[in-house]
Amino acid sequence: MKSKRVALFRAASILSLLVIAGVMMVIGRGHTVYLDNKSMDYNGQTYAALYKIVAFVDGEQVASLSGRERGMATCIGQGLGVALEVTREKDGEEQSFTVTLPLPYSMDGIIINLPAYLAGLPAEAYLSEFIPAPEPSEDEDSETDVLPGDEILPDEELLGDI
Amino acid sequence: MKSKKNPFLELIQNNSVPIMFIIICAVCIPISGFSPGYLLNEIITRMGRNTFLILSLLIPIMAGMGLNFGMTLGAMAGQIALILVADWQIWGIPGIILAMIISIPISLLLGLFCGKMLNMAKGREMITSYIISYFINGLYQLVVLYMMGPIIPIIHTSIKLPRGYGIRNTVSLLNMRQHLDNLLAIRIGGAKIPVLTFLVIAMLCLFIILFRKTKLGQDMRAVGQDMDVARNAGIKVERTRIVSIIMSTVFAGLGMIIYLQNMGNIATYSSHSQIGMFCIAALLVGGASVERASIGNVFLGVTLFHLMFIVAPSTGAKITGDSMIGEYFRVFVSYGIITVALVMYEAKKRMAKSKAGKMLEDAQGKGEGN
Repeated sequence: MKSKRVALFRAASILSLLVIAGVMMVIGRGHTVYLDNKSMDYNGQTYAALYKIVAFVDGEQVASLSGRERGMATCIGQGLGVALEVTREKDGEEQSFTVTLPLPYSMDGIIINLPAYLAGLPAEAYLSEFIPAPEPSEDEDSETDVLPGDEILPDEELLGDI
Repeated sequence: MKSKKNPFLELIQNNSVPIMFIIICAVCIPISGFSPGYLLNEIITRMGRNTFLILSLLIPIMAGMGLNFGMTLGAMAGQIALILVADWQIWGIPGIILAMIISIPISLLLGLFCGKMLNMAKGREMITSYIISYFINGLYQLVVLYMMGPIIPIIHTSIKLPRGYGIRNTVSLLNMRQHLDNLLAIRIGGAKIPVLTFLVIAMLCLFIILFRKTKLGQDMRAVGQDMDVARNAGIKVERTRIVSIIMSTVFAGLGMIIYLQNMGNIATYSSHSQIGMFCIAALLVGGASVERASIGNVFLGVTLFHLMFIVAPSTGAKITGDSMIGEYFRVFVSYGIITVALVMYEAKKRMAKSKAGKMLEDAQGKGEGN
């Protein structure tokens, strides 16, 4: 009876840890979001860049974008809540929007084209994946030069901050 | 006839190491020129960073297994978990929690292995655990240097070596840096107090206090005092010892994650190897010994050891004009203090043995006289 109870307790503990881990994987997924104010063509129609867009995340200004400019924000979770102050043309009236941009789990870096988003286009139009430029080719051995076993004298790593 | 000892002298004798460090710090602080506010801030930061790791050493001491040099196994588990979480791009507090959960099974397995090995080397636990940490370090390097990439998927080039497999020397944890420390943090007189980190540490302290009162905790103390007596009393000595090492390894893994989230990066191939030595040195500086350590020793040790760590380079620079002298001094002191503690432990053990032999001889002499 006691061993059954212990086994049950263990199974419940493992299960709850797995559930917590799963939840953390979803709510903790980090994204880098690039906010673009650039012209784009979609279905033969051109959506021009706006005169000025100011973006705020959590009350903090993350970007002030004129035409053909890009800003950046980081966020944790599957949606980016952003407040936008949009001026469509020079000397035009400033409009304010508060939107939540849904972010796909699989993408690390996400480009959001704000003129396309504000024009009400679907996600496939305004959202694309940011693919970083490949690193300049390094000498393969440069990183392995100081790998373990190579240390002779106490160096900064040995004497480093603890 | 019993000789009466001077209680003051006895107090000094029993706390010679902390007193020595208090004197060193008292001399170094004014020379270093640091303000009290700066020192306080640094000490609080380092206390939050290191205390959990040092607390993980208490349970094996309770079980009579001495200083667990094998805590680096837990540190390795913590690092592997953090590398995976960094690659999966799980940021902030969820990333820290996920890394902790992932580290637990790895620590469990490593702790089980270490515990079984130590049971085969009873009486020589410290040197055995020290060598096991080197052995497992080799396996860790095999995993991190060759298996991560082709066998264990690692996607991001910022983590992978340019050759396409293996992990870089430094892995950035910028996206979870000090998230635990900053959540609920308060500022008092310029010093940042990481309340949540201290709460986590307080929970472990409470756990250790309560654990001592449980059946398993009592068993561990009994095993620590005398294994044969404990066995005769029906305690499963080997199992109890394994459990103590597993607990220590798991806590060390969690502690390493707290430590690294504070630092903001992982030195993939060296963080874990330093940490065991410095934690043990800090505990000994706090007045602990191989067979006795308390939570008080942990806090006193962290404060004194790290105070010395902060002021030594600057003091060295002021006295000799070269800050490296201070750096070398602090490394020399950390290793030296462990050596002194081990020598004192052996000397005490021999003294106790010879005293017991003498008492037995006297008793036999009296018996024959009658």
